[in-house]
Parts: sequence; structure tokens; C-alpha cells
Amino acid sequence: MNNNRKKFLFFVNTGLLFGVLVLLLTYNFLHSSTETNPVSDVTNNRHIFGPGDNKEGYYSIDYTTDTLDLQKRVGKEADLMEFVTNPPLGLPAVPVPEDNPITKEKLLLGRKLFFDRRLSINDTFSCAICHIPEQGFTNNEIQTAIGVEGRSGKRNSPTVYNSAYLEKIFHDGRESTLEQQVWAPLLAKNEMANPSIGFVINKIKAIPDYDGLFESAFDGRGPTMETVGMALADYQRALNSADSPFDRWYFGKQEDAVSEQVKRGFEIFSGKGLCTACHLVHEDYALFTDHELHNTGLGYLASMGTTSKTTRVQLAPGVFVDVDNEIIERVSKPKENDLGRYEVTENPHDRWKFRTPPLRNVALTAPYMHDGSMQTLREVMEFYNQGGIPNEVLSPLIKPLGLTDEEMDDVVAFMESLTGSNVAILVADAFAAPIGDISEDDPNWAHENKIE
Amino acid sequence: MKKMAVSKAKWMQSIATFVCVLFASVIGFQSTAMADETCMSPYMAKIVGQEDYVYVWTLGVEGMGDEQDKLVTISVNPESSTYGKVVNVLSVGGRNEAHHSGLTDDRKYLFAGGLDSNKIFIFDVYSNPAKPKLHKVITDFVEQTGGMVGPHTFYALPGRIMVTALSNNVDHGGRTGMAEYTNEGDFVAAHWNPTDEDLRGAEKVGNVADGYGYDVRALPRRNIIVTSSFTGWSNYMMDFGQMLADPEAMKRFGNTVVVWDLHTRKPKKVFEVPGAPLEIRCAWGSQNNYCFTTTALTSKIWLIYEDDEGEWHAADVADIGDPSKVPLPVDISITADDQGLWVQTFMDGKTRFFDISDPHAPKQTYEHVIGSQVNMISQSWDGKRTYFTSSLLGNWDKTGEADEQYFKLFTWNGKKLAHEFTIDFYELKLGRAHQMRFGAYSLYGQAPNSKDRMLSQVK
Repeated sequence: MNNNRKKFLFFVNTGLLFGVLVLLLTYNFLHSSTETNPVSDVTNNRHIFGPGDNKEGYYSIDYTTDTLDLQKRVGKEADLMEFVTNPPLGLPAVPVPEDNPITKEKLLLGRKLFFDRRLSINDTFSCAICHIPEQGFTNNEIQTAIGVEGRSGKRNSPTVYNSAYLEKIFHDGRESTLEQQVWAPLLAKNEMANPSIGFVINKIKAIPDYDGLFESAFDGRGPTMETVGMALADYQRALNSADSPFDRWYFGKQEDAVSEQVKRGFEIFSGKGLCTACHLVHEDYALFTDHELHNTGLGYLASMGTTSKTTRVQLAPGVFVDVDNEIIERVSKPKENDLGRYEVTENPHDRWKFRTPPLRNVALTAPYMHDGSMQTLREVMEFYNQGGIPNEVLSPLIKPLGLTDEEMDDVVAFMESLTGSNVAILVADAFAAPIGDISEDDPNWAHENKIE
Repeated sequence: MKKMAVSKAKWMQSIATFVCVLFASVIGFQSTAMADETCMSPYMAKIVGQEDYVYVWTLGVEGMGDEQDKLVTISVNPESSTYGKVVNVLSVGGRNEAHHSGLTDDRKYLFAGGLDSNKIFIFDVYSNPAKPKLHKVITDFVEQTGGMVGPHTFYALPGRIMVTALSNNVDHGGRTGMAEYTNEGDFVAAHWNPTDEDLRGAEKVGNVADGYGYDVRALPRRNIIVTSSFTGWSNYMMDFGQMLADPEAMKRFGNTVVVWDLHTRKPKKVFEVPGAPLEIRCAWGSQNNYCFTTTALTSKIWLIYEDDEGEWHAADVADIGDPSKVPLPVDISITADDQGLWVQTFMDGKTRFFDISDPHAPKQTYEHVIGSQVNMISQSWDGKRTYFTSSLLGNWDKTGEADEQYFKLFTWNGKKLAHEFTIDFYELKLGRAHQMRFGAYSLYGQAPNSKDRMLSQVK
């Protein structure tokens, strides 16, 4: 082969190679999606932590937006099984029911269901509408949940993080397993408002993009009340988050993992602050909950307290007015009372008792308390520092603490050190999940052209 | 403050006006503007003479009648034997949070949206104007647009309908955009609103680029679209009183007006207009290069105007009532001669007339209580007939006895309103009366149908 021919072939081959590369890159560009476009470092993704519609500083007339763009969100699928088999530092082994071992296939099916807005009577509501991934798998933007047709829920959406470990589910602890729990929001009229179990099952069966998924994940079993619950439970059971700066310091013995303020905060948290009486920390792991329910007086205040004559309402950045409550009542439906655990047991001693929430990722899950009535962790500290609200069934564990401002700041700093190292991975994975919105292929009476 | 252009580029405006008229002559059926709503798209065909019907997009109420949303047709021609009566009710299934509707440029179809269900109902209003029929239901608005939620305004462009959205399918917050459909209801394109992360080529004039959406209007001779901003699903579907008392929720209102390039659909400027700017009404006069909007929460009239240099600006030009009392201005309507602006304030049930002969200094000259609550207004082109309805949002309307739901006609002599008739939507078990659009036989070369059915008489 002469040199010219070699050069010719070299250029042809190089050209072909270049062409293939261009084609590959073009294909990748044109077909990029949340599921296939990798993120080199999800921890640098601003979309991960907090609402993209940032309202920090909104109290000021000088408020400046830093709004993130929904079209710029990028997801990255993660191996969530890793967080089941090897839970992050600070968490114990994941309790898995014998009759629902976690598989990747079930977990991915559960994730698909979790983000599917078609699983509501009018195709508008998924689990993720109240448990928004970048908002701590809760909703930072409203105090209490709003369901189908705008119906009011009376409680704040709890986070789904680490729900695998919960022994009592819901703020009143009325449910005991994730498999069973999923059906409550699916059927509640003020949540997803499905009229029956059969309605949900039949709808899933009729949606083409579920064809074969249940059968494949459950050894031939199709969608049933049980398999829907199992799949959704498996996804939630994988959302385990820890290995926080606190964990690296306390359990990992890395002295420099947290600041001195965090260390002081933990000392107060587990000492003078009496917090660990309910938010338990064990020798080799911490869930920050005793799985019990307590009356702090907050629920009592809402039921029995008197209300002021006006409400301070923000109209725009830096613009506030005090509105007569009489005016507000004219555009309000009566507020539903909330007696907490009593609504489950009808035991008068259980009035206004609510579940001790786990505290991991608590910096991401504002607003706080069972009714979302507190916007900051500092407000929560001040509430407990004053000893809650006295009432005849106040928990004996709640008492004035006598903490200084500095000590309360220290405890807040400690709580802010509880954000898990894998939050970015879990949220980016959630972004990679398809959002199920109704298409023309899905069941709906309007697709059957029966209207006259 | 720079004054708007009154003489600059007149030849361009003349050409633009000529093109618009020519276009309307080609695609429209009647170009004689004698009587028509004043807030419609300039691309839309005009009604000749008296309107025959008002179509009221009505919210179903749980526990009342058939409980679902419906298009209610009301006969409003004094020459008709059915004058002042409901002549047709078309139930569409579900409580979709019926809100706004809009006609195609040829006025053959009425698009009506559900802010909750995201369904868009397309009614054929030309085959029989007395009895609209459901032509098509778009169920996949969210999927087609890539995640927009809450189809709101339906605004006629040539052969197209521009649909603004209020929310999104990710967090039910306010970041959203607008979408284009053909008159047949086929999806064309989605245009997301500018945000800080992606201004899409726009200039952020103030401190805010929130990406929120609400209304849209075009000023074709200046090649612009103007959009405003309200709030996301979580707020507009929430109990009103509950929301007012929720400090987190009250942070989630729009504070922007965006001026877009009409032809390229690209945003040009993002203005800071605090307190939820809602309806946009652009002037009709060929030299009047401005639009008005009002802010629901801060109770102000804002002027969006072009200066002598061809630059667009936004200015707060008047208070509406006492802003500290939050009267909540809602729908507005500009008169055909650009001299007056009707402003409804929901909380006190008043309509207020502003003299806008100097658009930089509107002055309220008249007010009248329409009901315990009031929202929408539609006026005839000659301004002599003003129609009012009552509902704001399903969970924002007043409660108890103050929850009056009505359709009312008043005549206007330039000085005061005179009541003509009222239809009680609760007495007829219809629901909450929201947006109105006019219909007429003359648009389609038809004669009035003498066999109109009077529902209220049947009842």
C-alpha cells in the first residue's frame, strides 16, 4: 500500500470516526432527557435543595428573585437498592417485611407510581405533589396540605425520608406499615379522592404504560390492592438518608466534620434542652424519634385558644397589612378541628397528641410542626424553650428549658447538620422519574367521544 | 418618566393597522365593528349590531343540581321572546375549576379551560348560537406542554389560540408558560415564561423574574404580547381565608409583567409589578400604545406603555379604593374609545369607573355596588350594556349568605348604571357564574331561532 493510499484511508477512517462521533453526540443531544442525560456532579445542581421558586428575603421590599427554570431541571437515575442494602452512616439496618422483599424492579415501579398524577380521580394528583423531592419530600410552600379540588387537609405534609423506619405512620400514628399506608391518601376525599380501591386498580390496568410492569415485578401478579401497596412501599423504603456531617462526627468520629457550634448544639440537644427524651439517639444509630405521640400544647392552642382580631397578611415583597379576621372569615370555610391521636383512640388522654417526627433532613422540611405553623427551626426552639402550651394533658416531658438565645442558635445549627450526604442523589433520581400525566391513550370518558 | 409616543413611527402604525384590517377582511366574515366586547382580540371577527347570547362558563357546586361545570347560554337580545332567560345548559362533567374562555378568531369555537383538571373544552358556537355543542375535549394539555398546569386565558391569534397557564406539574407552584393551539385544538408549541436561570433573551428590568403567568393580550401594530402573573395551583385552589393566613403561601404570588415579541414569541422585558397583576387590557386607538393591568393584592392600576424612543415601561398610575383594605380588584374592561376603565373589586362587590383620558393619571369618577361579591364584566362595544358575574374561584368565593351567584345586566348612559335584569344562578341550581363571551346569529349569516328553549320556564 503506497503512502498516498494510506493517507487516503487514514483520512477516510478519521472522517468516518469523526462522523460517527458527531452522529452519536447529535443523537445524545437530540434525545437527551431527564432519564438519559447524566449529571456529572449532582451536588452542584441548584435544583436539588429547596424550591426552585426561591422566596428568601420576600419580607423585604428589595426582594430579588433567583428563580430556577423548570426546563433546566436534569435528573440522574441512581441505584436506590444501595441505600437499602447499605443504609448510610447513622441509620440501622432497613426493616423489610418478609412478605415484601425489595427488588429493583418493584422499587422502580413504586417510583413510577409515586410520580403518577393519573392515580387520582381527575388525573391531577400524585404522591409527589405533596411530597416534592427538592422540598425535602414534603411541601415548603404551604402550611397544610391541599388535595384534589383544593380540599383542605388539616396537617402539614410529613417528609418521606427514612419512612422505612417508622413504627407509626401519619401525624396521629394511625397506620403501621407503608404497604397499608399508601391507600389512605389514594382514597381520602381531600387528597387523591379516588372513589374506590377497584377504581385505582382498574385505572392502572387500563393505562398502557403499565402494561406488564406489575406482572414482571410480582411474579405474574398484576395490579392489586396488595401489589400497588408493596411497590409504593418499596420506593419509599429506599429513600434512606443519613451520613450527615453530624453522623460523620458522632458515629464516624471525624472531629472536623462539624463546627464547634454544632457540637455545642448537640450537647444542649441531649442535655439541658431535653430533646433526646423524644428525639432518641442510640449508641450506633439515630432516628431522632421515639415512635411515640406527645401533647406539646400546640394542638390544644389551636382547638381551645382564642384568636386575635386581625391577621397579618403579606401582599407583595415588603408590603404587609393587618386584615380583620371578620373579613377573612367571609371567604373561609370553617377550619377543621384537630385532636390528634384522640381521633384514632377516642381516649381523652390522647387529646392533641402528635407523633414525634424524625429530624433527619429537618433543615429541608419547613414549615414545621404537625400543622406547619412555624416557618423556622428557631421558632420551634422558642416554642419548646417556653415549655410548649400548658394544658391539662400536656406531656410531662415538655417544660420550660431556660435556654439562652445563643444556646437555641446552637441547637438550630446542630439540626442543620442533619442533612444527609445522599440527598442530592435521591432528589436527582426523583427528577429522573417520569411524571405521569394523562395522554390520549389513557382512560377517560372524553376519549370515548360519547358527548352529544 | 418618559411619556408614551404619540407621533413616533405613525407610518408604521398605519401600515400595521392596514394589515390588521386587511387580515380581518380576509379571514373574518364581518368587519363592521358596531357592537362587541371591548376586551377581545383585535384579530377576532366582529358582531354586527346587538349580541344575541352571552355564554357563561360556570363552575359546578358540590351538592347543587348536577354538581358539574357547564356552559350556560343566556338570551340577551331585547327583541327575543327569550330575553333575559337561560336558554341552554351544557354540562361537561366534573368540577374542573371552570374559569376563563375565549373565542377563535373566526368566532366559530369557544375554548373554555379547567384550572384544576387542565381540560380544555372546545364548544361549537356557530352551528346553532342558541345551543352550543361540545366539539372536542383536550385532556392532555399538561403532557403536550411539557408540564404546564391550569389553562387560563384563551386569546385569539390568526388561526391560533394562545393559552396561558398558571402552574406546573412539578410543585403546583407559579412557574409556568403559555401554549399555542390551532383553532381545531391541535397543539402547536409551548413558550415557557422567563426566569432568572433562563431569561430567554429578555431583559430583567426590576428585581423580579418569577416565571409566573396569568393573562395575555397582543398589540399587533406594535408587535408585542403582554403577559401578567398570578399564582400557582396550591394557592388558587386553596380556601381563600386559609391562604391569607398562611405566610408561606402568601409569598407565592406573581410580581411580573412580561412584554414579548409577538412574531417570534420571545420575551423582551420583564417588569416588576408587585402584588399579582391580573387582567391586561390594551388600548384600541391607533396612536395609543399602552395597556392597563391591575394588581389584585396591592390594589393599583399599572400602565404598560411605549415611550417616544419605542421602549416599553411599566408604571403604577393609580390606587383602586383603599389598598390597605385589600378591595381585591379582579376583572377590568376598557371602553372602545380608550376613555374609561371599569374595575371590579371583589371584596366590596363594587364596579368602579375610571376616567383614563390621561392614561398616566386615571381618576375614579363613579362606583356602584353590583352585589355582595363581583368578578367579571363584559361590555358591548358601544359601552351601553355591561354584564356582570359573581364568581372568582371555587374556593375563594364568599361563604354563607354573601355567596351570591348571579348574571346581571346593567345599562350605562355615561353617568350611571341602570339595572335591567338578574339571573340567580343558585336559584336555578346552575353553580358559580364566571366568565362571559358574546354570541350572535349575525356572525354566521343566520336568522334567530324562534324555537329557543327557556330553561327557567321549563323549570
